[in-house]
Amino acid sequence: MSFYPFGGGGGSQQTINQQNVALAEQELEMITDTFYRIVNSCYQKCIPPKYLEGELNKGESVCIDRCVSKFFEVNQKIGEALQKKGQQTVGGAAGFQ
Amino acid sequence: KMDFSQYNDAERAHLQRIIEMKQMRDFMKFYTNLVERCFNDCISDFTSKTLTSKEETCITRCTDKFLKHNERVGQRFGELNQQPMQQQQMPSPQPPQQSGGSSWFGR
Repeated sequence: MSFYPFGGGGGSQQTINQQNVALAEQELEMITDTFYRIVNSCYQKCIPPKYLEGELNKGESVCIDRCVSKFFEVNQKIGEALQKKGQQTVGGAAGFQ
Repeated sequence: KMDFSQYNDAERAHLQRIIEMKQMRDFMKFYTNLVERCFNDCISDFTSKTLTSKEETCITRCTDKFLKHNERVGQRFGELNQQPMQQQQMPSPQPPQQSGGSSWFGR
């Protein structure tokens, strides 16, 4: 189920677009990094280090759900704010010509 | 949104190898992180050089708890990542998870 690149190489010779692959890799890094940050932050905020049992109780479970949801929201808001900042800077620079 | 149909076979194979290596590295990190966490949370009695039974129990519970926590976060994370692009700044594919969750290729 392979298809040939536009360069028209031989059957098993496919070129790897380094840039695309690097972008995919970066994206993967970012996502898993965020995941681990959430795990650590929400553990800190929701799970007291008492260990009376090995299960998550109801309160802890609910806290985790809400924590993940809030983290995503924070992530989004900050992303938007930074994006806006970036646009403003560009607009401002153009305005000062 | 990441779409693996945009990559040719060579690129997909390349990414696959990268993902596998990353999963190995991430597992090592996870393991060492967990050891440190449970050690810090459970161990404070240095009147002996072997673990007390209380400490052993704590370690077991700590491990279980953290694994369950990790799993739950993974579930919520996966759900939230499925939401349409305008609701989130991050691109959407699900992360590799330690406990049998979805993987990049939807296997």
